[in-house]
Amino acid sequence: MPTHDVVIVGSGLAGMRAALEVCQGASVAIVSKVHPVRSHSGAAQGGIAAALGNMPPERTAKIQARIENGAVLPDEELNEDSILLHWFDICKGGDYLVDQDAAQMTAENAPTLIYQYERWGAAFSRLPNGKIAQRPFGGHQAPRACYAADRTGHALLHCLWEQVMKRSDQVTVYSEWIVLDLIIRDNICRGLVVWDLNTGRLETVHTKAVIFATGGYGRAFSITTNAFANTGDGIAIAYRNGVPLMDMEFVQFHPTGLYRLGILLSEGARGEGAYLINGEGERFMHRYAPTLLEKGPRDIVARAEMMEIMEGRGGGPKKDYIYLDLRHLPAELVRTRLPQISDLVTKFVGIDWSKELIPIQPAAHYSMGGIPTTLQGEVILDAQETLVKGLYAAGECSCVSVHGANRLGVNSLLEATVTGWAAGRAALAHSQQAELAPLPADATASAEAEVKGILENEGTESVADLRKTLQEAMTEKCGVFRDADHLKQCLETVKDLQHRFHNVHIRDKGQVFNTALQEAIELGHMLDFAETIVEGALARQESRGAHARLEYFDLKTAAGVRDDENWLKHTLAYRDGDGVRLDYKPVRIFKFKPIARKY
Amino acid sequence: MADIRFQVHRFNPETDEKPYYQEYQFTPLEGSTVLDCLNYIKWHLDDTLAYRMSCRSAICGSCAMRVNGHAKLVCQTQVKNVVRPDGTVRIDPVGNMPVLKDLIADMHGFWTKMQAVKPYLMPTQPPPSANQEYLQLPEAFRLFEEEATCIMCGACVSDCTSLESDKQFLGPAALAKAYRFSADTRDGRRHERLEELIERGGMWDCVRCNECVQTCPKTVAPMEAILKLRQMALKERLTDSIGARHVTVFTDIVGRRGILDERELPVRSLGFNPVKLLGMAPVALQSVLKGKIRPLEPPHKVKGVEDVQRIHREMEDGS
Amino acid sequence: MKYAYFPGCVARGNCPELNSATLAIAPLLGLELVELAEAPCCGAGVINSQNPVLADTYNAKTFALAEEQGLNVMTVCSTCIGSLRKSNKRLQGQSAYLEQVNQHLRPSGREYHGNVDVTHLLYVLINDVGLDSLRSMVKRPLQGLRCAPFYGCFILRPSEVMGLDDPEHPTSLERVIEALGGKPIDYWHKTRCCGFPITLENEAASFKMAGAAIGEAKDLGAECMVTPCPLCHMNLDMQQPRIPRHTGRTYNMPVIHLPQLVGLALGLDPKQLGLHKHIMDTSAVVSRVVAH
Repeated sequence: MPTHDVVIVGSGLAGMRAALEVCQGASVAIVSKVHPVRSHSGAAQGGIAAALGNMPPERTAKIQARIENGAVLPDEELNEDSILLHWFDICKGGDYLVDQDAAQMTAENAPTLIYQYERWGAAFSRLPNGKIAQRPFGGHQAPRACYAADRTGHALLHCLWEQVMKRSDQVTVYSEWIVLDLIIRDNICRGLVVWDLNTGRLETVHTKAVIFATGGYGRAFSITTNAFANTGDGIAIAYRNGVPLMDMEFVQFHPTGLYRLGILLSEGARGEGAYLINGEGERFMHRYAPTLLEKGPRDIVARAEMMEIMEGRGGGPKKDYIYLDLRHLPAELVRTRLPQISDLVTKFVGIDWSKELIPIQPAAHYSMGGIPTTLQGEVILDAQETLVKGLYAAGECSCVSVHGANRLGVNSLLEATVTGWAAGRAALAHSQQAELAPLPADATASAEAEVKGILENEGTESVADLRKTLQEAMTEKCGVFRDADHLKQCLETVKDLQHRFHNVHIRDKGQVFNTALQEAIELGHMLDFAETIVEGALARQESRGAHARLEYFDLKTAAGVRDDENWLKHTLAYRDGDGVRLDYKPVRIFKFKPIARKY
Repeated sequence: MADIRFQVHRFNPETDEKPYYQEYQFTPLEGSTVLDCLNYIKWHLDDTLAYRMSCRSAICGSCAMRVNGHAKLVCQTQVKNVVRPDGTVRIDPVGNMPVLKDLIADMHGFWTKMQAVKPYLMPTQPPPSANQEYLQLPEAFRLFEEEATCIMCGACVSDCTSLESDKQFLGPAALAKAYRFSADTRDGRRHERLEELIERGGMWDCVRCNECVQTCPKTVAPMEAILKLRQMALKERLTDSIGARHVTVFTDIVGRRGILDERELPVRSLGFNPVKLLGMAPVALQSVLKGKIRPLEPPHKVKGVEDVQRIHREMEDGS
Repeated sequence: MKYAYFPGCVARGNCPELNSATLAIAPLLGLELVELAEAPCCGAGVINSQNPVLADTYNAKTFALAEEQGLNVMTVCSTCIGSLRKSNKRLQGQSAYLEQVNQHLRPSGREYHGNVDVTHLLYVLINDVGLDSLRSMVKRPLQGLRCAPFYGCFILRPSEVMGLDDPEHPTSLERVIEALGGKPIDYWHKTRCCGFPITLENEAASFKMAGAAIGEAKDLGAECMVTPCPLCHMNLDMQQPRIPRHTGRTYNMPVIHLPQLVGLALGLDPKQLGLHKHIMDTSAVVSRVVAH
């Protein structure tokens, strides 16, 4: 039985960053259902935020002048980027559902952690003076997105993998191992049950601490930028083990997914000056974010696109998409700063960006919600922050909550880095003073039953059909705009699918790389947590950040109705029998008073 | 789009003694990628088919496979571009790696070789100050920018000709990675890296066939990186290998004669190597008898060789 | 049809029969060749390993020589066409670079302006002569001779530089073989490497590569191999006797230069084509075609 002081599940930025902390003082393993470099962090394009202030002042000053909230920010900060400004932008971008201590920790640690990447060899693009290049990004008032062309996630993911390879004697990597269950007894996490995809063997992994860094759940939606792997496994497993899920209703829809395919076209494109054009050939963002226009935050831009489509101004025969326009950008700029995007549109839709418009639509992109944690990544069970001893979460699967109701672009790589680093340090400290807790006799019972239940099921339902039904319901009824009727229908669908899942059948009964079984298990996960998204959305009777309820939204002014009095609180969704029980938790607000969010 | 017959490599180690092709026939939707087609098979025709995939946007590197014999990321390969005249598309796992199941290859060897080139930055100087990055000018970054786009999908290794005949060869991906760090101004171990890379299995065992340049789904062009490693090694005077001598002697001969003399090249490249020279003797003799090699003829020169000599002098002395 | 002819080192060295066969068929094809006697070696990708700018300068000189006569360049070597086209792309792509290189040509009164294209006899046959016209010139059809085409790397890859045929599934050689009355063999190794560039560095690997190609062609019933590259010819023919030591297999596979095959079909004397100069006996191929 593999035994390690700390076991990290997931090998993206958060997981590997945590491993590099833990390995300084304890034995650590990474368990991942994909090889580390296949992790979805690598797909992040635009950049990673930090208030380095590398951009020359003449370029920053212009943007800084737009700060409208002088009462909150000290005047002396106006001429250059600062941690305070970054901190503020996060809180405002998250529509004040941000725990401000988490945002503070994120903004404060950003520069050091980015310098660390750079010292490890990360291939950042550079300014003429040799410093890390930075560019503007939606909702950030200063150009603070450090970037490696438009493949920043790739650059950082590979940088971490290089460092893990360098420490291959200290970090064990179990690739293509799929976690089925946590072993928690008496509120102490003791290990994991893992299914080795290579052999079909069930393994028990004994450990003092588990860090979940399993990523997001975009695959619960039909139009998504996310990888096939992003099925929210860790989130579902935590939920099944009694951990509540926080703020699950807040799902970010990226404004520029390729039409129908959802493939991500970086916000960096708009950062570099690309336009959004409706079916009538008009730039329309002036109606929704008169100051920032296309550089507005994602929730606002995604809604603007949907409103254009809803009002019949979409493009194409069905008028159901919007265009991204790069035609006016200099070829050299696109070649050096957006090479991946131009390659993707050529290969996937056969479009020449210099001559043609690119059809795009909002696509499920990022999960603001997830497993609730303390600043140190410790998983909490309730509003009183009762801890599960030895269980940590970091990155997109966690909810600390730094992004609140809406994440700003280029803050995800940062959050994965900061929370991975923090959870790694905390788990290391814990493992140095804790003992291995004994494993119960029935440690694998539930996982065995799950696998057997699928393998031996002779039912009639197909994984692909159920999954498609779920994804379409979530996109259509729990998407950019929501209302009670559609959410109720969506909930019914999810419930029905959970029921039908008991009757699911796969043909592959083998042990080696049974990817049919893998997909069934992943579907089971999605059906469980999807219910918390819909329930959370149904209960939350307001519009805030990425959660826009049509009943609480003025389409004429394009303004949501935020209800701070009743809803400035985090949702906690618990599994309760066959359903969901909701509870709430206060938001930690101590620096920036919630004000109206305009751009 | 018309019906396409997909001939898919199948092998289940639990039940099959040897691999076989299974055919699936259907009409893909307009605009389908090869990955879309595999997914259609898995989700609607046969869920036992195993393959890797994840991001479906050409960045995670999971889905490299051979399509009609050549490695591609199937997620970015439009099926209409690869249908053969007989209406078939053949799909195999990547080459030069053992097969675990169906289209899934064992990449263990790939990672072992990657690890062997010390694929990480080894700085020997601290950054300018504690709370700052290393400075690197944009032109210095550009030296390895393309090589840094490697997604480690293994397509180049799959189609590498040298690897097919020589398992010891480090292969294009690992060597391109080695170049990426050797060219990084922040790295302090270039010379040590190059010393290791001139050994057997390293930079001089690439046959320069361009397969990796052709097949790379990103912009790495591994063979070009290997050539740049060679230039670096020669600049650092790491010339004690047959490969290095081959290049310097070749360049020298052309610099003197304007044209290659194939009699002089092997003798001087091999250095003092009686065994190898003797091994070549019978073929050389036969070539003499056939009139292919003319030992008594004076060495060729191009017309107006002085001009070539001048160019060579200017550019080699200047470098 | 008039080309500046760049024979390359090997056709002037170890494979003189390639040069004579080319010069023999040219008039029959209506092809006027002006040999670039002053053109230096293309660098073969080898000089690039030491000094890429030097290789480009040599090639710029070649292009300038052709440009002076208003001609494009024709080679008979896959390696030459690849090296020349790569240099040409770099020179044509950046005016500053072209200027840097021209500084080394000017002392002898030359300059390259970037107006030359480089092709190969193979593509001249297809694009200039034309396959129908070639077919009509055949005096001695190849009688369904089973020929395994072997391209040589640089004539196909990278397609970004070459672009004259499909780099993965080329058809040019096949179409020429068919036009001449032969039967092309389709096999995996036809686009692979012969191993020549590393015969000195890594003999075993080099000969295994050559053996793999010859062996597959033989297994599929090829009576001969046909190549547009004299470097491939050296590994496949001249070195063929040394291959069995590494592969445990003998092949007795004749390997024919492309212009020799054309010449045979156009009715030329096999001796004039130098078919007796090969290391591997070509008499079976010759008698198969000539006996008719």
